[in-house]
Amino acid sequence: METNNKLSLDKIGKELPFSVPENYFEQFATQIDEQIGFKSSSKKKFLRPWMYMAAAVFTGIAVLTPVLYTTNSQRTAIQTTENYESYVLSQVDETVLLDCYVNDVPATK
Amino acid sequence: MTIIEVKTVNALKIRSHQLKSMTPAEEEFQQQLGDPKKRTAAFSSLVRSYQERLYWHIRKMVLSHEDANDVLQNTFMKAWNGLDGFRGDSQLSTWLYRIATNETLTFLSNKRMRNVSSIDDVEEGLLSVLRADNYFNGNEIQLKLQQAILTLPEKQRLVFNMKYFDDITYEQMENVLGTSVGALKASYHHAVKKIEKFFADEE
Repeated sequence: METNNKLSLDKIGKELPFSVPENYFEQFATQIDEQIGFKSSSKKKFLRPWMYMAAAVFTGIAVLTPVLYTTNSQRTAIQTTENYESYVLSQVDETVLLDCYVNDVPATK
Repeated sequence: MTIIEVKTVNALKIRSHQLKSMTPAEEEFQQQLGDPKKRTAAFSSLVRSYQERLYWHIRKMVLSHEDANDVLQNTFMKAWNGLDGFRGDSQLSTWLYRIATNETLTFLSNKRMRNVSSIDDVEEGLLSVLRADNYFNGNEIQLKLQQAILTLPEKQRLVFNMKYFDDITYEQMENVLGTSVGALKASYHHAVKKIEKFFADEE
């Protein structure tokens, strides 16, 4: 028993005599993240809603542009025709029209 | 206690008596690990929560940092790949400790296989690795204790480390090692006696 007084478990204590490299656990966790395919960066999480919004806006523009463009161009085409007709009509009187009719009709047929 | 809710959300089967003994963090982990969308993120947090205690559990057995690092990686990859097989029959921590223990014992037995000459050589090898390890910062007495621990049979060494350094209860140990509480108590008692004898013989 006297030897136990010299060297015993009580004297040695329970502290582990080991250490690890600096930042070991942080690096280890990141390494496992890579292996399981987990992208943990907070930037990505933050960016995600913005990416969704941008994609939604882009899709919206892509879908609506042809529709709006077609409607507008059709409207412009109609307006142009109407304007042209009223302009022509405003520039001619009955005699000119008759002349035009007499001269042009045979030619068109 | 919202056991029914937990059961519906969780794909893993959790028994009510186990929930009672489970920490809220463990419950949450189990729920999220059962959800395929949250699984990777949950596992990542799980690694961060358990890596240190599992590392020290392994390190005490393999002694060198490099080897502990390898075994810890294998442990988590085994856990990740075996996640579907985990049905909540045991606590998450018990399950992880069990994998870590198996990986450690496999590592040591492979080392033994490679070392064809004798069993003692592996223990002697471990000790020399410890002496040379940059991450061993103990004094002579602590080194002597490690030397004494290395004279124990592997299973006894495991029991001694878990009880002496980590103060893990015999009941928890029983779940991890699959040995009865009575046998574990006897094993620890023998280990302490052997270590004290080792010290006495060294004097």
